[in-house]
Amino acid sequence: MTDKPVKGVKRFFVTGNEVVAWAALAAEADIMYGYPITPQNEIMHYWTRLAPKYGRKFLQTEDEISAGFTTCGGVLSGARAFTATAGPGNTLMQEAMSMAEMMSIPTVVAVMQRGGPSTATVIYSQQEVTMTCFGGNGEGLRIVYSTGSHQELYDYTIKAFNTAWKYRIPTFILGDGYQAKMREPVIMYDPAEKGINMVPTEKILGAPGMPGVDRDPQHLQNTYNTEEELYEVVNQLVERYWKAAPEIVEHEEFQCQDAETIIVAHGVVTRAAQAAVDELRAQGKKVGHFRPITLRPFPKEAMKKAIQNAKEIIVVESAQGQLDKIVKSEIYEAKVPITGYFRPGMGITAEEIVEFINQRG
Amino acid sequence: MAKEFKIALAGEGGQGVQSVASIIVEAANNAGREALYIPNFGVEQRGGVSIAFVQIADKKIGSPKFKKADIVVALSDRAVRRTAQYVDENTTFVYDKAIKGVEEDIPREANRVLAIPAIDVAKNELHPRVFNVIIMGAVIEATKVIEMKEAKQALEENLGYKFAENPKLRELNFKALERGVELVREALE
Repeated sequence: MTDKPVKGVKRFFVTGNEVVAWAALAAEADIMYGYPITPQNEIMHYWTRLAPKYGRKFLQTEDEISAGFTTCGGVLSGARAFTATAGPGNTLMQEAMSMAEMMSIPTVVAVMQRGGPSTATVIYSQQEVTMTCFGGNGEGLRIVYSTGSHQELYDYTIKAFNTAWKYRIPTFILGDGYQAKMREPVIMYDPAEKGINMVPTEKILGAPGMPGVDRDPQHLQNTYNTEEELYEVVNQLVERYWKAAPEIVEHEEFQCQDAETIIVAHGVVTRAAQAAVDELRAQGKKVGHFRPITLRPFPKEAMKKAIQNAKEIIVVESAQGQLDKIVKSEIYEAKVPITGYFRPGMGITAEEIVEFINQRG
Repeated sequence: MAKEFKIALAGEGGQGVQSVASIIVEAANNAGREALYIPNFGVEQRGGVSIAFVQIADKKIGSPKFKKADIVVALSDRAVRRTAQYVDENTTFVYDKAIKGVEEDIPREANRVLAIPAIDVAKNELHPRVFNVIIMGAVIEATKVIEMKEAKQALEENLGYKFAENPKLRELNFKALERGVELVREALE
């Protein structure tokens, strides 16, 4: 038995990529499969440096299609396996993640969003929301945690493994290039010491015992002959997903109760939104902020409650309306006008949100 | 908005702006303050202007990047032109006296413009290798974001292994730090 990588509770000042690598170690991840792409490279680099010291493994594949499928394979063998990617790499992984949806494979993927479409920038964006939530030819049967700080990168990377294995649903930690590359304080801890027990993994393929005698045979399938067969399977998957959803959804609210204007933002942009609320409140304006932490499933009921007294909603994001589209479909019945402040591939500061809202009068 | 100290450091690759930024935020973090540092990065492997965005505050920091800085330090002609966008009427703009041909590019709206002879001091008085430590001293004096003893402690943590081999390097680095402080004081007079 090798040493625990993180003991006790300790403050560090590191990059977000390093945080994810440490969190995966602390979460007892067995193996990372990966292919390099900026801005997530250092997750791999730190993992390859750290993993051998703690008896963990790493496999570099020839591309992200392979990294996605080997992650699926690792999970099927019973390993707590994960990968990390960004941008065009995320695009290539959709094929494998679609299979993970179909076969209920609890993969974990950390995504550090970069600019898009295509190669675009290696810097930052929130343009991988649609793809991470709904990518592939499927029904978006995934769990997506959108983090906004190093602390959340640590907490939700650990949590992602447990959510994935508990519900057998592919799970994503959706970060971005800023979170990946910046340095800020983070408190790392041994999950066990915080009362967090890692959900045990098991061999999905090749479990012990004789199939049909000692146990039910495991029959994994992603190909079906008839429409009826597929229809039944997808219905079961969908039903199971929505049954689990109320236990999975997470959000945060900032002064929404009496707010006339509510800023909706996710990920790192929540930081600007929170600061903008403070500033606008100081100016005497009734402004609040609703932040979905799970983008998929979306905290719909919580949001409906939060906007009860609102006269307008402003969706603020570093994309051309990807969160906006989700918000509009989720709160369709609400009679509140929605305006977007979209900055695809650009960082957003509190000052510009304040200015945007003030200009609207 | 929470008052945060926002610093943009810009120079040519190799001038050491990223390591200065890194050491300053480490010192601030060690002193129990909130600190955030993000380098600019692009697809280029070499060349281009290197910018470090640093924020230090007493409460949690918002967005990683910012539109306007409290202090901008530009160490090359291209850096002067590139960083003008981070300057407004509250900004202290620091640049090196030795940079040629930028008279027209110095942002006029800056609250204060300080020209310091750091390149010259490094070359003729100390050693070119400690140029970025002079800059670190200048930033500390212009912002007071960390104490001198915290800065020395941070240098010790980062370069201690080199100091152990050659104690003269400690002396040289601390001297550079102090000269940086003096250069800003002189420019303010």
